[in-house]
Amino acid sequence: MNLAYTVSIAFRNLFRNARRSSITVLSVATGGIAVLMFGGFVANIFHSLETGLVMSGGHLQVFKQGYFHFGAGDPASYGIANYDEVMQTIKSDPQLGPMVTLATPQLTLFGVAGNFKEGVSRTFLGVGFIPSDRRKMAQWDRYDMHIPIRLSGMTDEQTDVGIVGYGLARVLHLCDALQVKDCPQPPKKAEQKAAVDTDIQALASAEAQTAAQQTQAGDHPKIDLLAATSQGAPNIVSLTVLKAQNQGFKEMDEVFVGMPLGLAQKLIYGRGTKQATSVVVQLNDTDQLYQAVDRLNQLFQEKGWGLEVRTFHDLTPFYDQATGMFRSIFAFLAVLMGAIVLFTVINTMSMVVMERTVEIGTLRALGLRRNAVRLLFIVEGALLGMVGATLGVISAIILSILVNASHLTWLPPNNVERIPLRVNVTANPDLILWTWILLVVIATLSAFFPANRAARLTVVNALHQV
Amino acid sequence: MTQTIAEETVARLNGVDKIYRLGDVDVVGLKGVTLALRRQKFTVIVGPSGSGKTTLLNLLGCIDTPNLGTVEVCGQDIATLDDNQLSDFRAMKIGFIFQNFSLIPVLTAYENVEYPLLLTGVPAAERKERTLAMLNAVELGDKANHRPNQLSGGQRQRVAIARSLIKEPALVLADEPTANLDTRTGGAIIALMRRMQETQHTSFVFSSHDPQLMEWADDTVTIRDGEIIDMRRAA
Ligand SMILES: Nc1ncnc2c1ncn2[C@@H]1O[C@H](COP(=O)(O)OP(=O)(O)O)[C@@H](O)[C@H]1O
Ligand SMILES: [Mg+2]
Repeated sequence: MNLAYTVSIAFRNLFRNARRSSITVLSVATGGIAVLMFGGFVANIFHSLETGLVMSGGHLQVFKQGYFHFGAGDPASYGIANYDEVMQTIKSDPQLGPMVTLATPQLTLFGVAGNFKEGVSRTFLGVGFIPSDRRKMAQWDRYDMHIPIRLSGMTDEQTDVGIVGYGLARVLHLCDALQVKDCPQPPKKAEQKAAVDTDIQALASAEAQTAAQQTQAGDHPKIDLLAATSQGAPNIVSLTVLKAQNQGFKEMDEVFVGMPLGLAQKLIYGRGTKQATSVVVQLNDTDQLYQAVDRLNQLFQEKGWGLEVRTFHDLTPFYDQATGMFRSIFAFLAVLMGAIVLFTVINTMSMVVMERTVEIGTLRALGLRRNAVRLLFIVEGALLGMVGATLGVISAIILSILVNASHLTWLPPNNVERIPLRVNVTANPDLILWTWILLVVIATLSAFFPANRAARLTVVNALHQV
Repeated sequence: MTQTIAEETVARLNGVDKIYRLGDVDVVGLKGVTLALRRQKFTVIVGPSGSGKTTLLNLLGCIDTPNLGTVEVCGQDIATLDDNQLSDFRAMKIGFIFQNFSLIPVLTAYENVEYPLLLTGVPAAERKERTLAMLNAVELGDKANHRPNQLSGGQRQRVAIARSLIKEPALVLADEPTANLDTRTGGAIIALMRRMQETQHTSFVFSSHDPQLMEWADDTVTIRDGEIIDMRRAA
């Protein structure tokens, strides 16, 4: 008996108990919708987390060997003196060059920040960077996430202007001067809310000029940053604080100082060689991460530079923890939905086989082989799966479009600003394909057991339905 | 001598016992049955309910096996065939007509009749021609596209007759085909079967608990409590 005919019979059989078939199809579809919607949501979370990290810290950083484990407290010993050469090598390498959007130096340091007018001080974590490079890095939007860009307002020209975390501003009594909202000290600055909420994009273009005007106006507070130089002598620089910026999580917020690279170098290296503790590298495409890592390691080995590469996975363990957690939840949900589909189809097909026992006997008496009987019911289960899976995919796509169009937002963990809640179903053809295939496979497998029972019936018993 | 018997006989049972095991109880279906069915004859098996008619037809139809003795259909000892071979054998050689019509509900009258030809791999054009001819022969040409549930009992049984005959089987088995029909329709069905048997030159075995039907038969086998108590040929 040819397959097309078997499929045609199985298809017609679906309509014999249309109500039961519909319920089965709907439960398969529901399983598909749940998996696709949650999968699409998770994919969106992964993309937004990744985009956030890549926008602010690149894909990877190049350190002096050992820095990652031992160098954090000792920027002097773990500095990269030839960071310009490293960056040039990266950008001009025929293999790496095309992958890289940007390579920029960074100097991380620790010290004491003081607002000595107020008589307060505390330890800080300072990051020295090149403001214009940061602005370029923040443009990265490989997945069209449209995450609001938060600009420091710093410029390359203003060599002593930086930013601090909200928490640090609070501790240093800078809330008033920096117009920090929700600062527990002075409960009167609510009217600034509107200014902060103004369209970020608009701010971005106007940012450079306004920043310049503001500093020149001289209404920004200054703090003093104190650290030990590479020679071990205490050193101090003055920083004009442009604004306070929320750093997401409290630990960081209370210690963070962002400053121009030059200022950080002045603080740590004094008149000695200017160094960086890392070179931050941003790639066009995260898929090329390990390709880039391999090439970098190869280059560094060839040059004998004693550098090591750390990816954003290493630098932000939270990313892997969060994605791992969501992956587990997704897997749990998928297994649960798979089980529901399995049992629904087994149940439906068992009833089908029971109801059609006499018919099975008739077909066998007419000369249909056991295998053909088995195939008939397996195909029927597979069809239930295909119709259900297709319905599920279509529904999920429609639902995801509705969700995305409804402009919901949510606040991801460790994030400062609410981001759009989106469900990337259409953007994940792999997810759609695999969900569809798995649903059909499960439905087909589920039909296998009842189909086997149908095939094993003896003709006489089937005909007389014993 | 063996030659002539083989030619004349479409099926034979030799010392056949069929016992059904119901828990600890053995129920006798057939006991010591030896029987030869003549080719191209209309044989009626008569006996009261529970006498073993269905059991006998199941064995002849190669859908059941005896506990003792041999069953031979078209010269083939069916005990030597495995399940697939038996299926193919049935598909080629045996037509069934059931008491409850047993048409496939999702297939139209046309498709039900055509089905055995699909099983034996007859090419499409020939299939169509033979199916239409057979539907016309049972006077259902105008009902070709009706599903079984759109047909009356008599019409359904005519479809079943067409289905059993379309592959030109060596042996057609009809187990009380009129039991679910009123007397008039039943009579018409028997007349049709008899007519078809003659025009198609098929061997027909027909079972009934109604001794009146013996008048249609070439040969009559009377059965009671699993044993043959009488065999006779019409003049
Ligand atoms: N599958 C079965 N299991 C147990 N007993 C059966 C089975 N089929 C038939 N019998 C018994 O075998 C005997 C003959 O039955 P059957 O061949 O159906 O008779 P008939 O068709 O003449 O009514 C009866 O006693 C019946 O109860
Ligand atoms: Mg019977």
